[in-house]
Amino acid sequence: MRNGTIRDFLYEAPGPKTRRRIRIATAIALAALLVLIALIIRQFAATGQLSARYWSFFLRATTWTFLGQGLLTTVEVALTAALISFAVAFLLLRLRLRRSRVLRAISTAIIEFTRGVPTLLFIYFFFLVVPQLGWKLSAFWKITLPVAISACGVVSEVLRSGVNSVPKGQTEAALCLGLTETRTFYRIIFPQGIRYVVPTLIAELVIVLKDTTFAYIVSCADLMQNAKVLISNYDAMLSVYLVVAVIYILINYLLNRLSDRIATRSGRRAASLPGGIAQ
Amino acid sequence: MSQPVIDIRHIDKHYGQLHVLKDISLSVEKGEVVVIIGPSGSGKSTLCRTINRLETIDSGEILINGTALPQEGRKLAELRSQIGMVFQSFNLFAHMTVLDNVILAPTEVLHIPKKQAREEAIQLLERVGVGDQALKVPAQLSGGQQQRAAIARALAMHPQAMLFDEPTSALDPEMIGEVLNVMTELAENGMTMVIVTHEMSFARRVADRIVFMDAGTIVEENTPEVFFAHPASERAQNFLRTLHAPQGED
Amino acid sequence: MSLSALLSQYGDRYLQSLFTTWRLTALSFLGAFVLGILITVCRVCPVKPLRAFGDFYVQIFRNIPGATLLILLVYALPYLKITFPYDVCVLIATILIPSAFCSENLMSGMNTIPPGQIEAARALGLTFLQILRRVVIPQALRSTVLPMTNLLVATMLTTALASQVPMRPMDLTGIVSYINTHATGGVTAFAISAALYCLTGIVIGRIGSFIDRKVRILR
Repeated sequence: MRNGTIRDFLYEAPGPKTRRRIRIATAIALAALLVLIALIIRQFAATGQLSARYWSFFLRATTWTFLGQGLLTTVEVALTAALISFAVAFLLLRLRLRRSRVLRAISTAIIEFTRGVPTLLFIYFFFLVVPQLGWKLSAFWKITLPVAISACGVVSEVLRSGVNSVPKGQTEAALCLGLTETRTFYRIIFPQGIRYVVPTLIAELVIVLKDTTFAYIVSCADLMQNAKVLISNYDAMLSVYLVVAVIYILINYLLNRLSDRIATRSGRRAASLPGGIAQ
Repeated sequence: MSQPVIDIRHIDKHYGQLHVLKDISLSVEKGEVVVIIGPSGSGKSTLCRTINRLETIDSGEILINGTALPQEGRKLAELRSQIGMVFQSFNLFAHMTVLDNVILAPTEVLHIPKKQAREEAIQLLERVGVGDQALKVPAQLSGGQQQRAAIARALAMHPQAMLFDEPTSALDPEMIGEVLNVMTELAENGMTMVIVTHEMSFARRVADRIVFMDAGTIVEENTPEVFFAHPASERAQNFLRTLHAPQGED
Repeated sequence: MSLSALLSQYGDRYLQSLFTTWRLTALSFLGAFVLGILITVCRVCPVKPLRAFGDFYVQIFRNIPGATLLILLVYALPYLKITFPYDVCVLIATILIPSAFCSENLMSGMNTIPPGQIEAARALGLTFLQILRRVVIPQALRSTVLPMTNLLVATMLTTALASQVPMRPMDLTGIVSYINTHATGGVTAFAISAALYCLTGIVIGRIGSFIDRKVRILR
């Protein structure tokens, strides 16, 4: 049979009457969407938001170098947070696979805790509480650490599901060959397991990237923060924030596409992330 | 002369460039059992599925009891309710018990009171030998049991004809017999049937007529006795020879 | 500040915040669910422009960061002469984003249904609406219990966005920032909110997996 998604097989091949109805509905929907777009544009025009002074500075190179610098910080924060998160997640996974019940419980508790608390709360912890404890952190770390912590529980669960999908026979075979349990894990199980979850890990990067947008709270000069500077320079709130939103959406869209690509190529769909939304 | 239950007249169908049904005509009389055989890709499944418009046709016409097969809407649904269909992959509704699978269409489509539908469903399930499985969900049944339940589901609509699209192809060998037995019983009781199958001994035993298809055309039509003993066309001869060869597919 | 001192001074406010977070979560999830269903209808309907619109909508709100969306709603929209109160802005953001994920869940729920079952229903003479009502929707809903449970928890976490606008009563994140800017609440102030979030999440998760066990479809 033909393959496809629910979109393809929910309806049967239309007869002449149905075809006509679909054509009419298509025309109406198209008209409605065009009217919607026209209304939006009219609202922009009516409020003067289409005027050149709100948009012309996007033609200047300085605008883009400035936004680019912000984006660079955003990427730095996101990648650093992702690396830290991955390392912590790996440690949590190792703890969780131990025989000791206490260690397993500790690991599970940490994972559940980081998954159950909003990133914003962690950010306020590093922004407001940590300085009270007399620990001075730069703005960069004040955003990077909470974002990393917030992600590590989910990443650890993702890694665990990857390790769990490696067939049991692999462990048995390795142990029979005389490898120690530790070596079996590092040489045989983990390298295979992580391959299963690469798409999910990339999708998790989207969540990390979204979380970095709270950097303005700790005054870290990321994309959003630099956007604010542009806004005060040109007095152009709407246009700048719209452009920034589009940049974020595009990056995340491309990351998700990449994730899907890899997933379909390896014949696996990215497992839906537990707590799959970033705030 | 009585009117054929199914009357297919000069139908054609393409999948893009591929001409899958080429000017096919076939009529099935009341109570007749027609078995369609042929190599895979010959279009036999597609032909079977055009009869209740699970596949559309590009030209030609299909008459059911003398009326043209409707193209859409309530009329088409009504017509489909009079023709039972059994699929290769059973297609029982996974979220319902076997009993609810059988009751669904009689209550939804024919508006038979639930109690009556239930009693009848239990009888049907017993008739096909899965009465004791009625309250389980499909996944708890073996393939053979699922297929028999699917036959009961189709019979619950009191169809005027039954279509079988390779009903045993997805079954483990030891379960094929139980499904074929149910089908044989149906045939003996006078059900009008169109069967697409690879089970040659079953075809020989049950069919009133064998239709041999190859490359989208009906190559040969004959009684099973004549067809299996003296196939007229070279293609049918080749087909039967590969079946009888020791390393044959079947 | 000690736990008892903190609770005696701010106990009432914590309770209020907890209820605010719960209320926001419930409203957002409800709104997201309704909107998610509508968007999904668009995405699977045979009308191409509606499909494209649904897909576009999901891509936008799946990929936009919550903070960016909230800032657009609060600060940028007034330039178009569209102004909402703060709490409405928060609610819009916490509905729009989860609604995209809700639609994704529903789509993958529907995609778990084997096409053959829809054909079988068709062959039995069920009309399109009957097939939707008796075969497609029940199966889609039953196989999305766990994803929807996760979505509910995620929606709760998303409502922390409320702390970014001056909103009274405050939510569980807002109160931590409030206490720590007015006094030194320290780790305890943070821990109380964190514990309340976690407990709520755990309860939701438990209920979700209980329901899932009851309705899961054997395949």
